[in-house]
Amino acid sequence: MSSSDDDDERIPFIQRPEWSDVRPVPQDDGPHPIVPIAYHDDFRETMDYFRAVYLADERSRRALDLTTEAIGMNPGNYTVWHFRRLVLEALNVDLHEERDFIDEIAVHNSKNYQIWHHRRWVAEKLGPQAADKELEFTMMILALDAKNYHAWSHRQWVLQSLGGWEKELDYCCKLLEDDIFNNSAWNQRYFVITRSPLLGGLQAMRDSEVSYTVEAILANPQNESPWRYLRGLYKGDTDLLVSDNQVSDVCLKVLKTNHNYIFALSLLLDLLCYGFQPSDELKRVVQFLGKIEPDSSDANLATTICSILETVDPMRSNYWAWRKNNLPSEVC
Amino acid sequence: MLVCKSKSPRREKLGGPGESVRVRWIRCSAVVRLPPPAMDPEGLELERERHVLFLEMMMERLPSDFETQEINHLTLAYFAISGLGILGALDRVDKDQIASWVLSFQAQPRTMSDLDNGQFYGFHGSRTSQFTIDDSEVSSHNCSHLASTYCALAILNMIGYNLSNINSEAILISMRNLQQPDGSFMPIHFGAEKDLRFVYCAAAICFMLNNWTGMDKEKAKEYILHCQSYDGGFGLVPGSESHGGATYCAVAALQLMGFINADISSKPAKSVVVDVPLLVDWSLQRQAADGGFQGRANKPSDTCYAFWVGGVLKILGFYHFLNKGALRRFLLSCQSKYGGFTKFPENMLPDLYHSYYSFAALSLMEEEGLKPLCVELGITAINDNGI
Repeated sequence: MSSSDDDDERIPFIQRPEWSDVRPVPQDDGPHPIVPIAYHDDFRETMDYFRAVYLADERSRRALDLTTEAIGMNPGNYTVWHFRRLVLEALNVDLHEERDFIDEIAVHNSKNYQIWHHRRWVAEKLGPQAADKELEFTMMILALDAKNYHAWSHRQWVLQSLGGWEKELDYCCKLLEDDIFNNSAWNQRYFVITRSPLLGGLQAMRDSEVSYTVEAILANPQNESPWRYLRGLYKGDTDLLVSDNQVSDVCLKVLKTNHNYIFALSLLLDLLCYGFQPSDELKRVVQFLGKIEPDSSDANLATTICSILETVDPMRSNYWAWRKNNLPSEVC
Repeated sequence: MLVCKSKSPRREKLGGPGESVRVRWIRCSAVVRLPPPAMDPEGLELERERHVLFLEMMMERLPSDFETQEINHLTLAYFAISGLGILGALDRVDKDQIASWVLSFQAQPRTMSDLDNGQFYGFHGSRTSQFTIDDSEVSSHNCSHLASTYCALAILNMIGYNLSNINSEAILISMRNLQQPDGSFMPIHFGAEKDLRFVYCAAAICFMLNNWTGMDKEKAKEYILHCQSYDGGFGLVPGSESHGGATYCAVAALQLMGFINADISSKPAKSVVVDVPLLVDWSLQRQAADGGFQGRANKPSDTCYAFWVGGVLKILGFYHFLNKGALRRFLLSCQSKYGGFTKFPENMLPDLYHSYYSFAALSLMEEEGLKPLCVELGITAINDNGI
C-alpha cells in the first residue's frame, strides 16, 4: 500500500509501458465547480485511468491492481470498490487473498464504511467457515480501539450470519475486565444474552446477569453503563423491575455510601413512578441525603429525590425540576 | 461520520495544491486583517466573520487533504453552503452557479422504462462516481447515491431553487428499489451498507419533494423502532450500540414521516413503540461534565453531537432541559482561530464537518446572529415551492 516512501517512487501511469494502450479519461468537472478540491497530480491521473477501465469494463488483472492504487488514495470511493468486486468475480480470484488484502489496509482505515462493507461481501462469499477469521479480525481492531463502531457492527453481523457464538460472552467479560466503562462491551453483552442460540434468552439469563451487573455497579456507581444494562434486563417487564429486590437493594446500597449516587436516585425515582413501595430504611436514607427531618410532612419520597437531583446533578436541573412537577398522581 | 485522514505529509507550497487549511488561513486573514480571537474562555464570543471567511475559503478551494473525501463532494458543498446559510452569509455565494453545478450531478434515465431496471436515479456525490454516458451505451454507469441526493435537494432548497423543476418522479419511483424487505435502505443500487442513515435520507428526500411514494413509511418506521436499544437511544442497525448520530436519524425520520406528532409513545403496541421517556433520559445524559455532548455513554464529548443529540431533544420538545450555558462554553472552547470548529477542545485544526455541526448546534440554541434551522431537515430556510 502507498506510504510516504512510495509517493516518491510512484511511476505515473503515462510512463508505464503496460498501460500504453489505454487513453486516460479526464474528469469532466462540468459547470463552474463549487468547493473544488485541489487534486494532486497522482490522484487525478489514477482516477483518469480508473475512468478508462471502468468505461471499457475491463475486468483484468491490471484493472484489479489499478483499483488497489485508487483505493490507496481514496478508500471511500464506493464506485472503485464496486468495480473491484466485479473484477474479483470475473477473474475468480481466491477470496482468501482478498481477505489478506483487507487485513493490511483496514488497520489504517478502521472507520471507513466501504472497507467494512467489502469485508462483509468477502466473508459472505466465503461462508460459515470464515466466521473464526472474522471474529479474530474484529478482535484485532477492537484491541486497538475497543469501541470501534464498525468493528462491533461487523462482529454482530458475523455472529448472526456465520455463527461463532461459543466464546462471545467470555469475550465481553474480558473486555469489561479491561475497562468496565466500555459501553460497547456492555451493549455486546446484551446482544449475546438476548440473541445467542446457545444461551436461553433474556429470561433464562436474567438472574446471573443481574448479579454480574450489581457487582459492576457497586464497584463504580458513577458508571452509567451497568445502570442502563440493569434496566435493560427487565425490558418489557416493568412489574418485575419493581418487584425484584435486587434492583431496589443496589439503589439502597449505593445511597448508603453517600457517594456517586445520582444514577441510584434516578433509578429509584423511576421505580417509584412505576408503583414501587419503598421500605422505611430506603425512605430514611433518602431523607438523610436530602437533609430532611424524618417523619416530616415534606417527606414525599419522589419529590425529595427530584430536589436532591436538582442539586447534585445541576447539568440536568431543569429536567429534574420538570420531573418533580410531573410525577404520576399516585406518587404525589 | 466522515473522517478526514491525511495519508501522508505533503509539502506545503503557498497557493499550490499542497497548501493546508492552516497556511491558507494565514494567507487570507493577512489580507482581511481579522483581529485575534478573545482568549478568555468565559468571554468567548462567536467569531462570525472568521467563520464566514473560513467557509468562503472552502467554497473557493478545498485543500488537497480533502482528496480522501472526494467521493462526498456534494456533502462537503452542503456543509459549506448550509454553514453560510446559518451564518446569514448566503448573499456571498453565486446561487445560479451552485444550482447549475448541483443539477449537473443528477442521473437521468433515458426513458421511463429505465425506472424499472432496478437502479436508483438520484444525484451523484462526485465526478469520480459520475461517468459520461454515450447515448449508445447501456447506462450501467449510474452510481447515484441516496445521501448525495439528500444533500443536493437540501442545497437547492436553501438557495431558493424551485424543486418542481427537478425530475422528481425518476427519483421517487427508483428510490423504492433501494428499500429493503426489513424497511431499511441501501444508499446505492449495486450494494452497500444498509442502516438508519439512509432511512433518514429517504425520508428527507420524500419530505422535500412533498411526495411519499418513494418509500414505504410503515416499513421504515418498523425498522427504526427495531433500532431502539435497551438504554433508550438508537443504534445504526438493530442490536447496535445507541449512538447520537443514529438517534438523530431515527427521531428526525420519524418526525418527517409524521409519526412523532401521532404521539407514538402512547399508542398501544401492535408491535414495538418508541420508549420516549427512556430516550429523553438517555439523550439528556449525553451532556457530559464539560458541557459538551458525547455520542455514546462513557466517551469524550465531541462538538458534532451538540447537533445530533441536541436536535433529538429539539424535535421531541425537551431542548430546554439541556444546559445551554455549559454547552455554549464547550462549543466555543472548540472555536478555532482559523475559523470553523474542531472536534475536541484540544484539537489543532478545524474541519468542515465539525464546523458545520457546531454552527447548527449554536443555531439550535438561538445564538445571536445565526439563522434558525429546520432541525429535522438540517437546512435553513424552507423553500416555499418545495413544501
